[in-house]
Amino acid sequence: MNLIFTLLSTRQFLSKEQIRQSIADYRDSTQAAFERKFERDKEELRELGITVEMGSNDKFFEDEPGYRIPRDQAELPELDLTREEAAVVGLAAQVWEHSSLAGESTTALVKLKTAGVQVDPEGLRMAEPRIATTEPAFESMWEATTRRVPVTFTYEAPGRDAMLRHLQPWRMISWRGRWYVGGHDLDRGATRVFRLSRITDDVVHDGRPGSYEIPADADVASLARSLFPAEPDRSAVLLLRTGRAQSLRRTATTVVPEGDGFDRVEVPYSSTRDFASEIASYGPDVVAVEPAELRDLVVQRLEAALVPLHRGTTGQDPAATAEGAAS
Amino acid sequence: MNRTRAQVLRMLALVPYLQDHDGIPVDRVAQEFGVRPKQIEEDLRLLMFTGVGEFPGELIDFDLTALEDDGIISIRDAEVLSRPLRLTTNEGAALIVALRTLRAAAGETQLPVIDAALAKLETAVNGAPGAGAAVDVHVGQVDSGTLRTLTQGLESGRRLEIEYATASRDDHTTRQVDPRRLFVEQGQHYLEAWCLLAEDLRFFRVDRITAARVTDHWAEQHESTPRSVSDGFFTVGPETPSAVLELRPHAHWIVEYYEAEVLETFERDDEQVLRVQVHGSDESWLRRLVLRNAGAARVVEPASLAQAVRDAAASGLAAYSGQ
Repeated sequence: MNLIFTLLSTRQFLSKEQIRQSIADYRDSTQAAFERKFERDKEELRELGITVEMGSNDKFFEDEPGYRIPRDQAELPELDLTREEAAVVGLAAQVWEHSSLAGESTTALVKLKTAGVQVDPEGLRMAEPRIATTEPAFESMWEATTRRVPVTFTYEAPGRDAMLRHLQPWRMISWRGRWYVGGHDLDRGATRVFRLSRITDDVVHDGRPGSYEIPADADVASLARSLFPAEPDRSAVLLLRTGRAQSLRRTATTVVPEGDGFDRVEVPYSSTRDFASEIASYGPDVVAVEPAELRDLVVQRLEAALVPLHRGTTGQDPAATAEGAAS
Repeated sequence: MNRTRAQVLRMLALVPYLQDHDGIPVDRVAQEFGVRPKQIEEDLRLLMFTGVGEFPGELIDFDLTALEDDGIISIRDAEVLSRPLRLTTNEGAALIVALRTLRAAAGETQLPVIDAALAKLETAVNGAPGAGAAVDVHVGQVDSGTLRTLTQGLESGRRLEIEYATASRDDHTTRQVDPRRLFVEQGQHYLEAWCLLAEDLRFFRVDRITAARVTDHWAEQHESTPRSVSDGFFTVGPETPSAVLELRPHAHWIVEYYEAEVLETFERDDEQVLRVQVHGSDESWLRRLVLRNAGAARVVEPASLAQAVRDAAASGLAAYSGQ
C-alpha cells in the first residue's frame, strides 16, 4: 500500500534509494532484503493491474532509472455511462454467485459508483443470468486461463483411473451450469476438453503468466461445439399420440393430425442413437415411421427393456455411446 | 485469489469511496462492499499505517471519536488517492464475462445498451485486454418472440397467458400468470411468475412456453413466501419418488448427471455394474429415464416401476409388429 501511495504522489521518477528511505519497512531491511521485497511488491502491483513506469528525470543525463505510477494510467477514466448502461452494469455485478468473482464484481462496482456512475438496476426488465461456480477447481483454473499459465491436475473420468494431466488452458466454457476447460493437452499433444468437476485435487500453476500463445488457428469454437449437441442435419417421420410428447412437438417442423388419436410429424435430429433413445423413452406415445435405421434402433431399445433383470447382459448394447460428456 | 490481495484491493477502493462519502456509517460501507462490518474496521486499522510518508499529515487518519462513539467514518489526509483506480484484470474480466452472459440472455432490443456498456467498460480495465474473452458462458437459445412478449408483460405490469409444456408429466396447459422476473440459471431461461392455475409462485422454463400473449388485465401482487431460486429446482425430500437401478458401464453417466447415490459396485460378465438410488420428480420421469437407457439400465425396485417400464415397452413394440 505504502509503495502505491509513494509512487502515486510523485510526478518525478523516484530512485530506488529514495523509495527505500521513504518507507520504514524498506529502510529497516538489509540491502538484500530490501531488493527482494521491492521486487516482490512491484510484481504484486503488476498483478493488481497497476502499472509502474520506469524512467529517468533528465533525458540528457543517464542517471539511475527511477519509478513512478502515472496517475492518468492508474486512475479510472470518466466512463460517461448513460443511466440505462449503468443499470446494465449494476445487473452484471450480480451475475456471479458465491465465488471470489462475486467479490471482485462488488469492488469493481464500488469503484464505478465512486467515479460518479449512478447505478440503479431496479426497473430494468431484462433476463437476469446467474453464474454458479461450485467446482473446487474453478478459481485456480480461472486465474490460469485468464493469465495463460500452464497447469497440472489429477483428472478422473468415470470408469477410468485417475491420471495426472498437463494442460495449457485456452478457454473456459460454462454449459448447462457445468464448467469445462479446453486447451492444449501436453500429454496427448492435442486439443482436449476437461470437465472441472472431474478434477480431484488442486490445480497447480506450472509456469509464469503469458507462458504460451494461443495459436491463431486454434479452433476454440469447434472445441466448444464438441460439448454441445450437433445441429440437426436430417429429419424423421414420427407418429405422436395426440397431446403427448411435448418436447418433440416443440421441435417438429410439420404436424398433421391422422384422425386416429395420432399426429404425423416431421422432426429434425442429429444423432440417430440419441434420438432413438428419446423416442423409446415415450413408450407407446411415439412411433418411429422412418428412416428405417431409426425405427430399428427404437425397436431394439424397447426389446431390451423387456429383458428381465440378471439376464441377457451380453450382445449388442443399444446404449453404446449414449451421452458421454467431453474427454 | 488469496485473502490478502482481496483485502488490498478493497482498501484501495475504500480510500476514494470514503472521501466521497464523508461521515458514512460502518454498516453502510460493509453492505456496499459485501463484507461484514468487522472486516471494514480491520481495513481501517490497517489503513492508518499507510500514507505517502510517516509524518503527521502524511499518514491516512480517521476521526476516531466519531468511529468509536457513533460508528461513522471520516477519513483525512488521503488526498493522494481521491479517485478510484482502474479496474484490475480480474475485476474487469468478472464484469465483462457477466455482461457478455447478460447479452447472450437478452432480447434483441436490449443488445445496443449492453454493447455500449461493454465498450465503455473495456476502457476502464487496466492490464491485459481480452482476459475476459477466454471465458464463455453458454446460454440456451429461446424463441425471441416469446422472450419479447414476456419482457413486455413485465414492463407493462400486465398478466400473461402462456401455453406451457411440462416435460416430466408430458402434458400441456394454458395458464394465466402474473410475471415477476426473468432469469437464467444453468444456461436456461426461466420466468418466475404467480400462476393462477396453481395459486402459487412457479418457475417456468421459457423454452417450454410454446405460446405467450399479454392480456388486458393488470398483474396483481400476491402474498407468497419468498423462495430462493434453488427452491424452484428439483430438491429431494422424504416424499420424493426414487428407484434402485442397476447400471452397466454405458449408463454410468447417470450417477454424475443426476447425482445418484451408489449403493453397491460389483463385477458381472467382465464389466462393472453399479447399483444406485436415483430420485425423480415422479414415476413417469423415472420410467422415461430407464426406457431411454434400456439395455444399460434396469429397475431393481420398486416392482411397480419395473412393471411400468415393461408395459410401456410392450405396448410400444405392439405398434411395430405386423408391419
